Amino acid sequence: MSTSPPPSPAGPVSARPQVPQRPGAQARPGLVRVWARDLAMGVRFAVTGGRESWARTWLTAVGVGLGVALLLVTAAVPSALGNRHDRGAARADITYSGKVRPKGDDTLLVGVNDTTYRSENVRGRLLQPEGPKAPLPPGVAAFPRPGDMVVSPVLKKLLASDDGALLRERLPYRIAGTIADRGLIGPSELAYYAGTRTMHVIAGQNRVERIDSFGSTASDDEWDPVLLLLVLLVFVVLLMPVGVFIATAVRFGGERRDRRLAALRLVGADGRMTRRTAAGEALAGAALGLVLGAVFFAVLRQLAGRITIFDMSVFPFDLDPTPALALLVACAVPASAVAVTLFALRSVVIEPLGVVRTTRPTRRRLWWRLLLPLCGVALLYPMTGQGNDNGRFNEWMVIGGTVLLLIGVTALLPWAVEAVVVRMGGGTVSWQLAVRRLQLSSGTAARMINGIAVAVAGAIALQMLFSGVQGDYTRQTKNDLDRAQMTVNLQQDTSLAAADHALRTTGGVRHTTPIGNATLAPDRRNPEAEVSLSVGSCADLRKLAHLPSCHEGDVFVVSDAAYDTHTRHLVKPGRTLYADPSYENLKGREIPWRLPMDLRQGSSREDPTGVERGGILATPSALPREVASTLSNQVFLRVDPSYPDVRDEVRNTAAKLDPLTDVFVFAASEQSTRFSSIRTGLFVGATCVLLLIGASLLVSQLEQLRERRKLLSVLVAFGTRRRTLSLSVLWQTAVPVALGLLLAAVVGLTLGTVLLKMVDASVSVDWAAVGSMTGIGAAVVLAVTLLSMPPLLRMMRPDGLRTE
Amino acid sequence: MSIPEGSLLAAHDLHKAYGPTNALDGAAFSIHPGEVVAVMGPSGSGKSTLLHCLAGIVTPDSGTIMYNGHELSAMNDADRSALRRTDFGFVFQFGQLVPELSCLENVALPLRLNGTGRKQAESTALTWMQRLEVENVAKQRPGEVSGGQGQRVAVARSLVTGPRVLFADEPTGALDSLNGERVMELLTDAARSAGAAVVLVTHEARVAAYSDREVVVRDGKSRDMERVV
Repeated sequence: MSTSPPPSPAGPVSARPQVPQRPGAQARPGLVRVWARDLAMGVRFAVTGGRESWARTWLTAVGVGLGVALLLVTAAVPSALGNRHDRGAARADITYSGKVRPKGDDTLLVGVNDTTYRSENVRGRLLQPEGPKAPLPPGVAAFPRPGDMVVSPVLKKLLASDDGALLRERLPYRIAGTIADRGLIGPSELAYYAGTRTMHVIAGQNRVERIDSFGSTASDDEWDPVLLLLVLLVFVVLLMPVGVFIATAVRFGGERRDRRLAALRLVGADGRMTRRTAAGEALAGAALGLVLGAVFFAVLRQLAGRITIFDMSVFPFDLDPTPALALLVACAVPASAVAVTLFALRSVVIEPLGVVRTTRPTRRRLWWRLLLPLCGVALLYPMTGQGNDNGRFNEWMVIGGTVLLLIGVTALLPWAVEAVVVRMGGGTVSWQLAVRRLQLSSGTAARMINGIAVAVAGAIALQMLFSGVQGDYTRQTKNDLDRAQMTVNLQQDTSLAAADHALRTTGGVRHTTPIGNATLAPDRRNPEAEVSLSVGSCADLRKLAHLPSCHEGDVFVVSDAAYDTHTRHLVKPGRTLYADPSYENLKGREIPWRLPMDLRQGSSREDPTGVERGGILATPSALPREVASTLSNQVFLRVDPSYPDVRDEVRNTAAKLDPLTDVFVFAASEQSTRFSSIRTGLFVGATCVLLLIGASLLVSQLEQLRERRKLLSVLVAFGTRRRTLSLSVLWQTAVPVALGLLLAAVVGLTLGTVLLKMVDASVSVDWAAVGSMTGIGAAVVLAVTLLSMPPLLRMMRPDGLRTE
Repeated sequence: MSIPEGSLLAAHDLHKAYGPTNALDGAAFSIHPGEVVAVMGPSGSGKSTLLHCLAGIVTPDSGTIMYNGHELSAMNDADRSALRRTDFGFVFQFGQLVPELSCLENVALPLRLNGTGRKQAESTALTWMQRLEVENVAKQRPGEVSGGQGQRVAVARSLVTGPRVLFADEPTGALDSLNGERVMELLTDAARSAGAAVVLVTHEARVAAYSDREVVVRDGKSRDMERVV
């Protein structure tokens, strides 16, 4: 039977059938169209390739999403800090002007009543409106009546709980309402405003102020350049591993994808097209990752209000990414996904019949890898010594130099791993399996630990810098903690004897030293020099100076105290000095005191605060009554540190004497608040980054195991012990980790040394920091390896051989 | 229970299901020392599952497997693993060599797992590679050799410990006919000279022709076939 073509609907066939044009004959599409076509094909593969494709896309998306969420949190840090600062400024009530504003119908008396409960700071204010137009503090709907208070939600919760029992005793006010969010700097802030009617302003004292509005327009003092450098470095060091992590995440499932791309080659795709398609797949994962990142960020934002890390908390509405930074993240992440994929595939030859030849990869070249950290050092080196003259550091050079040095770790690590493992051999079966695997694909192993290595290198450098400069931001207080651990500064109208008795009988207090203090001047008004007056019993005065002998009624002069140059000239027997002299804007009582003729000589010693007291030391009966009324009284306390909550017991007693009583706890050293905050920030950030990298490591590890499931089953089928395979996985991780951490330590120490030279601090290696940072890095890897053991054991079941 | 007299490995009334699918439904099998038995059947008939059960890789849901007088399914995992290390050898369709080890190291691997020192293991391995005519690829990795060479390396690996039973699952499935025949010649010759019994799973009649006896598996049931010469 013969067949003939069907007749054309247009009539009999009269012309040759149209031959489709060959692709080569068509006009070549433009570069943009080619890219768009290939990337789109990759995106399609990512979502239409069945379960495997979706699994890979989701794997990438989750990894990228975690990184994006962290970047968005970082992008929100400026606004979060700005909002906190703005709310803090809006409720500012201390003017430090020294002037007393006249009373009016728009004025308010504010008493500063901050306290500490256990280790938490509690912001407290006593409010006494003096007229109907008195300003309300932000977040407060109405003034609390005397005896009432409005509290922050967290303080309300604390006071209602058993944990807050001691604080409840200190704040004997009825809770009449809560402070709204705009009146608090963070959701976990403990704060209250209590109503009172007994306050009055004392000129020259800041505990009670008269104000007619809340808020301060005073600009902040400028940041120290070294602290700015620290902030800059903390950001770079924390964000670099996130970048590395994202670069790793877009390559999740790469081996399986390479096989799929080989099939594409078979149907005619050229090498470039294949790579672009692969980039398209990564792009799909990264784009989905952006969406997931936004979702993770939204969840984090909601949780932010409930989380307090190192005393820091933010409201969800504070975490508002700066639009420009958010846009940068949204553009940079997909772009880097494409770039990383193209870069990673540059040396991969995908052949039409698949990855049929997995020959040894070409040896990695060292020169350009070494160039990166060297360029980094070259950028940082010109800034050496600038910290000395408080000069500003060039931000871009700092960022550029640090980034190059840290990128150097990621560039050098694959070379180092390859150079070392190629020389390894012998050993047990598990060792042999691990070493041979590393020899075949050292890049995969190095990629897995890049993030950890960068984080550890950066952290070591920062720790070195912190240790090097912390002396400049930490003051040794000289407080003699053997003689006293606390001091209570009483209000003017509190009786010293009554306070001393109350404190002495407080649980946990072992000893009290009550002292009255004042200054004496040679002139009634605007004196140019002053001497200090300390009043106490003979026993108590002996704690302030060496006295030859002492009886009630004696007055001593101590003229050899450090930094006291006036006593020698001003204090003479029979000379008249004035207590509470007047100053330009501050009228004093100008009370004269003629010094006794039998002034006795004492010699200085450090008081419990570590200060040498000079001036006049007097027993109470030697002092005229008027002069005694000008004394500011304080009580030094020696307490039993083992007594439960002894500090809070003392604070409670002090609050009962007068709510505005000041209580101080002595410490061996004090650190700059900003310095401590930056250090806290580093710990918070480092914790997040290490968790993120740990998660990435786990995903990579599981992916590698999944790739080898069949092989693991075969090995088990012919009797390989599970212990052998588990050990081989451990070695496979341990060898690159050890090399990575070693390299990280070297780069970290180099960066740390350069940074210390930049701030002109003496270079010393903080071995504890090096040890702890590398230890933490190793611990993360160990934890990841342990977490990957259960799936490994599951995959080692021989029934994994089943294919049908 | 009917276990044929003198059999080295025998199974009776094996049942194994994967979810709703019955892979084995009362299958039986026996093999004598030095015997080559081909297990044939269409794809999905249960022949690989039968092999996995016989080798102690998969535990049947019910039924009995006796090896050399011992009940295999009564052994724990460690004992079955030890048995696979010492008494059994395996060849799979795609060789399943460890890609990062050289061919020589792959062949020596089962010996090393049994505690043999590296040098001695590799020396023995080389002898087997010579026997299977692949000593020239000893230093190369599996990815660098042809399919036929890789399969011969896999056969050498399966025989290097001197197993009493060799399990071969579609050993020529990925090879062309010429290479397939050569692998089968070498495999059966080497096994016979070593006195090893061979359980050969295949769906190709020309591969099954190298066996002494054929068992057909269909729908999870097995049947001994008369050889038609």
